[in-house]
Amino acid sequence: MPKIKMPRSSPSLDMTPMVDLAFLLVTFFMLTAQFRPEEAVTVDTPSSMSQQPIPTENLMTIIVDSAGRVFWDFTDKKVRAEVIKEMANRYKFQLTDDQMVRFTNLNAIGIPAQQLPAYLDLNSPTERKEVDRASRGIPYDDANNQLLDWIRVTQLIFSSGSGGKNPLVALKGDGNANYSTVNQVIKIFQGPTVKINRFKMITDLEESRM
Amino acid sequence: MAEAPGGGEGGGGGRHQKKRAKKGNTRIDMTPMVDLAFLLLTFFILTTTMYKPSTLQLTFPVPPEDDQPKELDKVNNALTLFLTSKDQILYYRDAYKPGETQLTRTNFKDVEKMLIELNKPTIERINTYAKQLNEQKINEAAFDSLKNLAQKQKDALFVIIKPEKDAKFRNMIDIVDEMDISGIGKYAVQDTIKPEEQLLIDAEKLKF
Repeated sequence: MPKIKMPRSSPSLDMTPMVDLAFLLVTFFMLTAQFRPEEAVTVDTPSSMSQQPIPTENLMTIIVDSAGRVFWDFTDKKVRAEVIKEMANRYKFQLTDDQMVRFTNLNAIGIPAQQLPAYLDLNSPTERKEVDRASRGIPYDDANNQLLDWIRVTQLIFSSGSGGKNPLVALKGDGNANYSTVNQVIKIFQGPTVKINRFKMITDLEESRM
Repeated sequence: MAEAPGGGEGGGGGRHQKKRAKKGNTRIDMTPMVDLAFLLLTFFILTTTMYKPSTLQLTFPVPPEDDQPKELDKVNNALTLFLTSKDQILYYRDAYKPGETQLTRTNFKDVEKMLIELNKPTIERINTYAKQLNEQKINEAAFDSLKNLAQKQKDALFVIIKPEKDAKFRNMIDIVDEMDISGIGKYAVQDTIKPEEQLLIDAEKLKF
């Protein structure tokens, strides 16, 4: 070993490969990083010690924000496309192909069904944000229970495409939402038509707890 | 794709310079660049793994076909928790006895200690199983079933959680989380607060 080292006069090593590698990794992580998707609603979820990860597919999420507004979301685009078709059918509105595509690519939806076509006509995210902010969420009172329809339609479409299986259900509630609001949603979950008795509640990982 | 040839040229250029540098020695110190690269690398690694919301599984009992709600009051070793406004918890032990039952007040900080204290036999059992799991005497599946069994024992604590109307959703998550922490397997979230219980709560609330 010393014999090989001797001829080298300079002790500094060539760092180029290391830099190459480091930047390669940086690029990789930058490109693969999944940015937090643009949400129609900001929800501050409570924290818990649970380490169960959130499923990334076949998951229907019902979001309840701090003001008690309710949003619907589904992970798989195929199912989303079918759901909006069926919802258009049930609520008697027409959607163009462009509007359908937009719906499939969006995330959480918290617009009463009657306003959906107008909402899906909006081009820019800022305009949609504006509407989302003014919206009162999906109606879920007894007289006009559109949330139940969303859940039911999702269930029907998902189970027909997957051989009778039910989609996973998650409830994402803001920590400051009133329990009575959340309870109303849970009551809808447990209702006789949808019968969801097992669901997940989305929480943040508790940071410091010793 | 477009970048690849450019990078190759850059590398070639570097090598040329190095050959000449043997005479003049115009090497650049790359240490700060490496520092920066690794800093960015660390940052991206950390941020990508940090943001992971977790989930809390909650199973509600299937509502009974008949309208008769199940009688839960006769269960032994029960604890009824009322989640009320301002992050306060009121609780009483065992079955409701008219005239005798008194509510005690606690909060989310102290409730964990209390639950662990009340559920000691179960926790001890689970700890022994966890030890066996660590020593690889039993496998994961066996541990889970033993843990389940321990949580269903007669002396295991049974908790009924009744959030009041003005409780926050955070309160419910917190308390369900506490159930997980203190190894309580038998718990139910109910929204039916009986009128006599409500009277007690209202009386206690005046003292807040």
